[in-house]
Amino acid sequence: MLSKSQARWFFVGGTAFFGAIFIFLTVDSLREIPARQNQDQMTAAVVRGKHIWDRNNCMGCHTILGEGAYYAPELTRVVERRGKEWIAVFLRDPAAMFPGQRRMVQYDFSPEEIQDLVAFLEWIGRIDTNGFPPQPDLAPATVVASRSTSASTAARPAYFDTICVACHSVGGAGGSVGPALDGVGNRLTAAELDRWLEDPPAVKPGTAMPNLHLPDATRSELVSWLASLK
Amino acid sequence: MKFRSQRVAYLFFATSMLLFTLQILFGFIMAFAHLGFDGLHDIIPFNAARSTHLNLLVVWLLSGFMGAAYYMIPDEANREIYSEKLAIVQWAALNIVGVIAIIGFQFGWWEGRKFLEIPRELDYLVVIDVLLFIFNIGMTIWNGKRFTTTSIVLFVGLTAAALLYLPGMITFDSQVLDSYFRWWVVHLWVEGVWELIMGGIMSYLLIKLTGVDREVIEKWLYVIVGFTFLSGILGTGHHYYYIGTPDYWLWIGGIFSAMEPLAFLGMALYAVGMARAGGMKHPNRIALFWTVGCGVMSFVGAGFLGFAHTLPQVNLWTHGTLVTAMHGHMAFWGAYAMVVMAMIAYAMPRMTGRKLYDHWIPEWAFWVSNVGMMGMTGAFAVAGVAQVYLERKSGMDFLEAQKAIEIHFFGLILAACLLSVGIGLYILNFIQYGLPSEEAVSPGAA
Repeated sequence: MLSKSQARWFFVGGTAFFGAIFIFLTVDSLREIPARQNQDQMTAAVVRGKHIWDRNNCMGCHTILGEGAYYAPELTRVVERRGKEWIAVFLRDPAAMFPGQRRMVQYDFSPEEIQDLVAFLEWIGRIDTNGFPPQPDLAPATVVASRSTSASTAARPAYFDTICVACHSVGGAGGSVGPALDGVGNRLTAAELDRWLEDPPAVKPGTAMPNLHLPDATRSELVSWLASLK
Repeated sequence: MKFRSQRVAYLFFATSMLLFTLQILFGFIMAFAHLGFDGLHDIIPFNAARSTHLNLLVVWLLSGFMGAAYYMIPDEANREIYSEKLAIVQWAALNIVGVIAIIGFQFGWWEGRKFLEIPRELDYLVVIDVLLFIFNIGMTIWNGKRFTTTSIVLFVGLTAAALLYLPGMITFDSQVLDSYFRWWVVHLWVEGVWELIMGGIMSYLLIKLTGVDREVIEKWLYVIVGFTFLSGILGTGHHYYYIGTPDYWLWIGGIFSAMEPLAFLGMALYAVGMARAGGMKHPNRIALFWTVGCGVMSFVGAGFLGFAHTLPQVNLWTHGTLVTAMHGHMAFWGAYAMVVMAMIAYAMPRMTGRKLYDHWIPEWAFWVSNVGMMGMTGAFAVAGVAQVYLERKSGMDFLEAQKAIEIHFFGLILAACLLSVGIGLYILNFIQYGLPSEEAVSPGAA
């Protein structure tokens, strides 16, 4: 039967042995991490972004690399999912993007800080994470068939696909926060659309749609395409 | 109690009770926010509530461990505490640091690193405070007449916990390295050296409450903490699956963390076995309940539910979801909250001289709080598994999936109410005991 001193040696010896292996593996990991995290792409902006991330305790709601809190979305691949432009617009006024839904703190980041955060998130997205987060492997219950038959005369603006689709859908693809925009050209004239996009709350006080402060060129591109959706 | 200075433990226990109450309050704020009632968002946003909830937990458990050590070490070393004054100073310092940290969180003074949110300036104060504590305990043992295994294990656990706090104080520019060394603190605490503290306290209580031979209990203590480190050190690998670390951690972390439940199973069998061998004859039955309950619930929460999502092929999907919250709640409750509560339940009658344990209040406190925590764990489990399938497996949008699982937070709140009632009863019992009394000091007492 095991004696007490044998038990003590089991504890001390086991701890020393596995502690040594752990140190060895840590040394090896530290050797491999620079390549896996693309150290050469860690620009000053990335580092600044990381400290903005820490300073505001973003991990207190979000997860990154799967670590943090479970109140807000996982952000490891957010640049791939939303695009840099969308994130920049979103960070300017988070509540405006998801009206009436779970709220994010309004941080009033400067444009430079937003660029730093985007750079940080972009860098995070390129880390070799052994496949996390995985692609969904169960097919959604229903496949939405495209029902858009709009013979559009204008080209679909890229801006629409990076920003607008977060809330609006066309042809069944897109968000459901705002109304679907199929056939919007039948309901509103180009002039009305233009006035709306310039400042939605001014047209309809209390609307959930934020003023996105679109540059004129982007706005007119959107208006001509939307007006053509008939 | 045997020595007058053991009464200082009371201060630490009282702090624990107060902070635990606050921790529960902040938990409710978060649960309501998940349910869609975020009325406090502008004053206490979720990240502030979350950091407060976690750090209150850490501080009240540390305070409980310190109180347990101040009660137990004089008894084991057979002498008064080296300096009771120092203990009081150190208690006051712990409270001041804790209060500043918690208030600071509400104003965004933090580090934004899960579990280690306390800002660097305060970290130094924490280190000084813990050094004072360890010095005081160490000198008590050193000058004592008796070196026992339980006190050595407890002391090694406390010292190692202090040392392991240091890697968490290094500043990194890389999220990967930051995370890597953050787990040195968090994982090696809760699945390593804190288990030494828990094992030391539990063995002491088993010796006192069951009457089983000390040699037998202490031998098995070594075996169990041996298993803890055998599995727990390399088990850190289960945090290194998906954070940018090499892929060999997938199988190393998988194999060793799959062995971690063995240590907790050992702890459970040990507590139940010793209690049975002792015949459960001790009049303070409720302290024995908490002690044995701690062994069993730590196995369920830390061992079993940890295993439920520790294998890499499972964790790939559950990593960063509410499944983690399911495991986390029951694990901290079973392993650490309950061991502190066991110690308090044992020490209070001895410090105050009042025998208020044979009563419906402490008994209901035990059952109601445990049933409440099981209900909470169930609610997190259902919400977590549903989240994994909706969001991760089928690609549903985050907010949509959260909407779909919202109702489980209603269940969570109901169960949390039950837990709160149980804890309320426990604290009521604690208050009924009153303050430590001179009359309770008797050199002949065990």
